[in-house]
Amino acid sequence: MLFLTSVMDRPVEGKSGEMIGRISDMIVRIGDDRYPPISGLVVRDGRRSFYVAANLLQSLNGTARLTSSTVDLQPFARRSGEVLLRRDVLDHQLIDITGRRIVRVNDVQLTRIEEIYRVVGVDISARALLRRLGPRSLAGRIVGRQIIDWSDVQYLASAAPVQLKVSYDRLAELNPVDLARIVDALSFRESAEIVAALDEETAAETLEEVSDERVADLLEGMDQERAADILEEMNPAAAADALEDLDDEVAEQLLARMEPEEAADVQVHLEYDEDSVGRIMTRDLVRVAENATVGDALRMIRSLEEVPDPLLAVYVVAVDDPDALRGLVRLRTLILADPATPLADVLDEDAPTVSPDDRAESAARVLAEYNLLAVPVLDENRRLLGILTVDDALATLLPEVWQRRGRAYS
Amino acid sequence: MTIRKRFWPYLAALGPGLLAASAGNDAGGIATYASAGASYGYGLLWAMVLVTLCVGVVQEMSARMGAVTGKGFSDLVRESFTLRQTALILLTLLVANTGIIVSEFIGVAAAAELFGVSRYIAVPLAAIFVWLLVTRGSYGWVERIFLVLTLAFLAYIGAAFLARPDWHAVLAETVRPKLHFDFGYLNLLIALIGTTISPYMQLYVQSSVVEKGVTPDEYRYTRFDVIVGTISAGIVAIFIIIATAATLYPRGIKVTAAADAARALEPVAGKYAEALFGLGLLGASLLAAGVLPLATTYMMSEALGFERGVSRSWQEAPIFMGMLTGLIGLGALIALIPGLPLIPVLVGVYVLNGLLLPVELFAILRLINEPELMGEHVNGPLYNVLAWTIAIVVSTLSLTLIVMQVVEWFR
Repeated sequence: MLFLTSVMDRPVEGKSGEMIGRISDMIVRIGDDRYPPISGLVVRDGRRSFYVAANLLQSLNGTARLTSSTVDLQPFARRSGEVLLRRDVLDHQLIDITGRRIVRVNDVQLTRIEEIYRVVGVDISARALLRRLGPRSLAGRIVGRQIIDWSDVQYLASAAPVQLKVSYDRLAELNPVDLARIVDALSFRESAEIVAALDEETAAETLEEVSDERVADLLEGMDQERAADILEEMNPAAAADALEDLDDEVAEQLLARMEPEEAADVQVHLEYDEDSVGRIMTRDLVRVAENATVGDALRMIRSLEEVPDPLLAVYVVAVDDPDALRGLVRLRTLILADPATPLADVLDEDAPTVSPDDRAESAARVLAEYNLLAVPVLDENRRLLGILTVDDALATLLPEVWQRRGRAYS
Repeated sequence: MTIRKRFWPYLAALGPGLLAASAGNDAGGIATYASAGASYGYGLLWAMVLVTLCVGVVQEMSARMGAVTGKGFSDLVRESFTLRQTALILLTLLVANTGIIVSEFIGVAAAAELFGVSRYIAVPLAAIFVWLLVTRGSYGWVERIFLVLTLAFLAYIGAAFLARPDWHAVLAETVRPKLHFDFGYLNLLIALIGTTISPYMQLYVQSSVVEKGVTPDEYRYTRFDVIVGTISAGIVAIFIIIATAATLYPRGIKVTAAADAARALEPVAGKYAEALFGLGLLGASLLAAGVLPLATTYMMSEALGFERGVSRSWQEAPIFMGMLTGLIGLGALIALIPGLPLIPVLVGVYVLNGLLLPVELFAILRLINEPELMGEHVNGPLYNVLAWTIAIVVSTLSLTLIVMQVVEWFR
């Protein structure tokens, strides 16, 4: 097995064994290849650094042997698209897609595949660090590696000081919750790079799970048009939380750029205090007129363009007033009942309700006490505003701040 | 453009720099400033002014690095230095921070004893309290309470005026540098540097700049924050020296216990001087005792690539949780060693900090002058002269102190 740190600073010899210099770095093109090829070496001779193309490389085994004795001594200058393995990959952070975490590269594994040296994996073990810390003669006695295949990592273009076109396709394998965890753990700029690579829908789903301050910073940092598009895709309660952490001026600009309907949705949530029921409630629910039957209700749900998720119950309202709540029918009841049954017969009229100004915590207590998965939210005039689901309540009860606060001090 | 529009961003940016610089005035800081005033009168005022300037320069460089690179200090070190250099720098920071964690628990012990509570009760309780707060994540509002408690130290400004110091002498000593080559003087001078330019303050400033996503364009607001923070912390420190110099120095009282330092507050608080000092000390110590172990653990885990975060379980992040718990436990244990002279140990911790400081300063200087990282934001030539002078002077003083200590041993 060939590793970057075991060939670094090793001699480069010409065809007949004469010393040309030492390996200072390796140039790699991180593009569409599953295993990126080494395109050349940076060779150092005294104070000069020059470039040697990879096709001159005969072998790389302790020393680098070239196929020719005469090399064109072009001084090395970095070009766009070129990543230096030692400078920009070794000791930098990568995303381990399968492990769903951020790792640091402690060594880089190279392999020759059909005459071309390629990067095939990274070693993230602490033993790799120990090998590099101790004297070279002892390095061989520390055994064991933890290699992640290069096709399972996502390289962050911001690690290199040149313009890079990096494909972020691999991020699609992560679900939004894992992506959010990574976005929170990375530095701001790296996280912005990740979010910029996501499509609007995935970005929205991810940002819903990211801490509010980071979301606000990310939205502020991106193009306003894109920020507005992402906000439209987000669930309105989460979008409201993010907007509240922004400067009022910026928040207003973003709201103005959003589709009026979505913006209005978000504004409803913004009218209520943080940690209040009104802020975190869901307004997406199924209303059925009280004169309908069970069968009508089921048909109506099936005909909806977008069905609320989770769907826990239907809310039975007055025929002429969709905000006058008569009661609710749980989905379970709905499925078990005969389709011809009028809703009025299976209606739960005494279900508890909460007010939008209640604290989220006390509403959560109502959910727990009555063993409910959702509870209707009614304003002071007993008009139906939305529902509070267990999911919504849980998210506020588990503080997200502590996942991030430590970072500010590191 | 209205005045409000022009100045608002500056005011809004106030925060990290202000907080970091105030954090320098913690248990060890107060002990060092009080000792300086009590032992040498106004004799170290000039140094305090220069040290404040140094803090400003160093903090500014750290904040600029954060704004330009978007990366924290330990990240940059790991990515730009060789692994062996990285190990040295991280080890230095670990030792320095561990020392300060010890000093914070000593601060808790000293504060408790002012209120007549045994340190063997107060310190373990504080350690458990801090550990729970940090790992359970409810630190936010508690932090604010601690911060408010530290305002007690502002009383030193009043005390300094009420003690009717000889302002003429104060001014003269402030502008007239005087270097004595006696061991105690040099020791305090290094401690003064060590407590005022603590590495963790730079780490803190840089990472909060990174966290907030400050861009090079917005950097001028952050620089304003850094300058305001440095000056205000410097003023508090200078007044602590003046207050103790005016009250304790003439009576020949050396600061060997917290009660001595509290006595300088008598002109303001009378018989409540000890209580006032105790509250301030408790707040400052607990504040830093919560922040530092977490910051240190993050720094090490991030640079070495361990799984990290207080929301992780012991199984998910054993090294992170182990180190966090270990640092808090170790700090508390050392502070509990029977017969430990509290104030001298506090000062000693900052001497150690001062001795380790050159490593960090030279690392900052190399990073800030690296065009590949900083682009056009590298130090200007004049600024570099200033920064290098600071690093060299601090190193020379540290080396001198070490040589004098060695000579002392063999005499």
